[in-house]
Amino acid sequence: MAQYKLNVNGTTKTVEAPADMPLLWALRDLMGLTGTKYGCGISACGACTVLLDNKETRSCQVTVSEVGNKKVTTIEGLSKDGSHPLQKAWVEHDVPQCGYCQSGQIMAAAALLAEKKNPTDADIDEVFNEHVCRCGTYQRIREAIHLAAKGGE
Amino acid sequence: MVAYDLSRRSVLRLIGAGGASLIVGCVPLPVKAGKADEQKPLEPNAFVKIDPNGDVTVTISKSDMGQGVRTTFAMIVAEELDADWTKVKVENAKADKVYGGQGTGGSSSTRTMYTKLRKAGATARAMLVAAAAQKWGVEASSCTTSLGKVMHPSGKSATYGELTGAAATLALPTDVPLKSKADFKILGKATGRVDNHDVVTGQAVYGQDVKVPNAVTAVVARTPAFGATLKSFDDSAARKVPGVLDVIKLGSGVAVVGENTWAAISGREALKVDWDLGPNGALDSAELEKRMVAAVGEHQSMPSGAKVVEATFDFPFLAHCTMEPMNATADVRDGTCTVWAPTQAPDGAQGSVARMLGIPAENVVVHTTLLGGGFGRRFSSEFVAEAVEISKAMKRPARVLWTREDDMRHDQYRPMSHHSLKGAVDGSGAPVGWSHQIIWPRSTRAIGGYGNARIPYNINGSGMAEGGADSPIPTGAWRSVEHTQLIPANECFIDELAVAAGKDPYEFRKQFVNDDRLKRVLMAAAEKGDWGKSLPKGWGRGIACFSGYGSCVAHVAEVEVKGDEIKVHRVVAVVDPGMALNPKGVEAQIMGACCDALSTTLKVKVTIEKGGVVEGSFPDYDWLRMGETPKIEIHIMESGETPGGMGEVGYPSVPAAVANAVHAATGKRARRFPIRISELV
Repeated sequence: MAQYKLNVNGTTKTVEAPADMPLLWALRDLMGLTGTKYGCGISACGACTVLLDNKETRSCQVTVSEVGNKKVTTIEGLSKDGSHPLQKAWVEHDVPQCGYCQSGQIMAAAALLAEKKNPTDADIDEVFNEHVCRCGTYQRIREAIHLAAKGGE
Repeated sequence: MVAYDLSRRSVLRLIGAGGASLIVGCVPLPVKAGKADEQKPLEPNAFVKIDPNGDVTVTISKSDMGQGVRTTFAMIVAEELDADWTKVKVENAKADKVYGGQGTGGSSSTRTMYTKLRKAGATARAMLVAAAAQKWGVEASSCTTSLGKVMHPSGKSATYGELTGAAATLALPTDVPLKSKADFKILGKATGRVDNHDVVTGQAVYGQDVKVPNAVTAVVARTPAFGATLKSFDDSAARKVPGVLDVIKLGSGVAVVGENTWAAISGREALKVDWDLGPNGALDSAELEKRMVAAVGEHQSMPSGAKVVEATFDFPFLAHCTMEPMNATADVRDGTCTVWAPTQAPDGAQGSVARMLGIPAENVVVHTTLLGGGFGRRFSSEFVAEAVEISKAMKRPARVLWTREDDMRHDQYRPMSHHSLKGAVDGSGAPVGWSHQIIWPRSTRAIGGYGNARIPYNINGSGMAEGGADSPIPTGAWRSVEHTQLIPANECFIDELAVAAGKDPYEFRKQFVNDDRLKRVLMAAAEKGDWGKSLPKGWGRGIACFSGYGSCVAHVAEVEVKGDEIKVHRVVAVVDPGMALNPKGVEAQIMGACCDALSTTLKVKVTIEKGGVVEGSFPDYDWLRMGETPKIEIHIMESGETPGGMGEVGYPSVPAAVANAVHAATGKRARRFPIRISELV
């Protein structure tokens, strides 16, 4: 067990954890940030996606000791009040069904839009083919990303 | 024409132009003893509460697993209450008999609760109106309501919040009038989900997100084969893992209890368990299929001189793989137990926990969280039982988490099945014989109970028989349940009869279908789906339909077969939900069911080897992805019947539409699901 200083959603937090604890469990169990979900633990579903220095990252695959000074952004850090363009677009298109995978989907969309302001369907497919939604909300996810890319208009 | 029917307890009755009666007024209600406390909320029943600040809380007695019941139920109550939708909140019910059955499945929530919830809302409205009328000294029947306010032609108005205290002193009205559909303002409107904001901000609370102070977390080492038993375990290394608190033998395996999830997972990895594989240690899917094929009996005889067609269909076990794996949290103390669980059966869980602990059911409090998917999986409560067992042993609140692999390898699976069909067409091209033999694993609770292979076509002497084969694999309900197999088999086989009759599969169905609602959607699907129009070489179009759960649907699928690959380009669905209470909800259910059906028709299956399940996670149970999802076009065609079920109706005809399209493209039939080009015949 050691202490790790993590920069999460703009605040530095100290957690005591074994070096091999995935960031996912540190966020959920040690910091109470349960918006990031466990789906498979092997980087196969995308439910645990967060941003690490604005890059899409599976939080089940990076340990607390590997995070270092990188900035962690979780769904809770995207905006507190749902005012982020992606959150608004997700509501506008009524994307969620069970909703469990959606924080991971939204974080992946945030990383995509940070890289490509106006992604094509093929760009979206490339990222989201690595994310599972068991309710079949894919069509609405795609529409919501396009809406957010257009500035919500 | 307006008529006053004062003989009937001073109820104002409006006779509409069509002759249908609409009761718009209210019974003057007697006042119970006591003075009005204006700060008192109005809670006329278990389903609705109106606070003095005007907030309306609807209590949701069914579990929301993504089907949107929290939204639909709130809409139903708000409609009859004439509430301001922006002031409506929802709250999940605890397990309690006051709500009636809380088990959520069979696409029954809306069907069973529609009238009950309408009455709940209408009752509250009647009391608020009566309170206002008394306050103003006017006839209740002269008041109107809208957006959370009672109004009178004199110009007087009061918000519901201002009236709760006075309304709460009134006796409960009986036989409250319900609105005419024509007056609906909320129901029938495309409405976003009440949980959207919490989901997109990460605040929505699923089973795994429940925070109970001082709770431990456990993962369980589970049997590698069904029927295996624990010989021994060595926990010396597991106990040395930082954060591991204890290792406990459970009924279902060996629980490693940690301060947090990672400690428990790491501890389980360090645990050494020796299992006796038991009687099924050599069992595999091929052996199970052999047993099923051997159980097929004699078909009924076909009319002499008719052209006879025969076919078999095989379906594998399927896992539910809800995005949120099974989990539950329990706190056992002082002869009571509190449970927080993503369960489809809160009352079922309450009963089983009470029996387990030997305490009265009322001492067991079950809080239903949001469910990260359900699909029938969360009907059983074994994960709740584990949390209870661990909490009892640890004398602390305990959470059990199933890892993805636990979840996939210890499911209550959609049963595998073998289908043998025999049918006949006569010289005129009419179907004259139909016999469907279904063989289920004998472990399936359905044996002798499923008999639901009713075919919606006029065929004299059609018959169905069921049989069972020995299998130790646990089975349960899976979205659309037996219809995931019966309907694909039936709807593929009717296509084969059409071809044998020398007829177009759509025209054949249209000619012999005996259900008017189904015929309407079938015809609309053919039109919307461009039935009969030309397609590129290697492409095919297939059609299929299904009537069940109080709704009906028809699908047209367009596929391209290229080498070993089946690419579904387009699916057109026409659905008759009776009445679409929330069109967005209807669309989402039909789309989701279509994605499920495409996953299981083209991709995933559960394989048995050495008595256990091979597939463990998404790499080998590879659910449909965004790039594989075709254009899905959904058309809602209301028949005006009472609202039908929506969760399950969208699945059963999709596999058949796709298989029939593959036949149109290749001239070959799918006999096994998921469809592999190499297995077509």
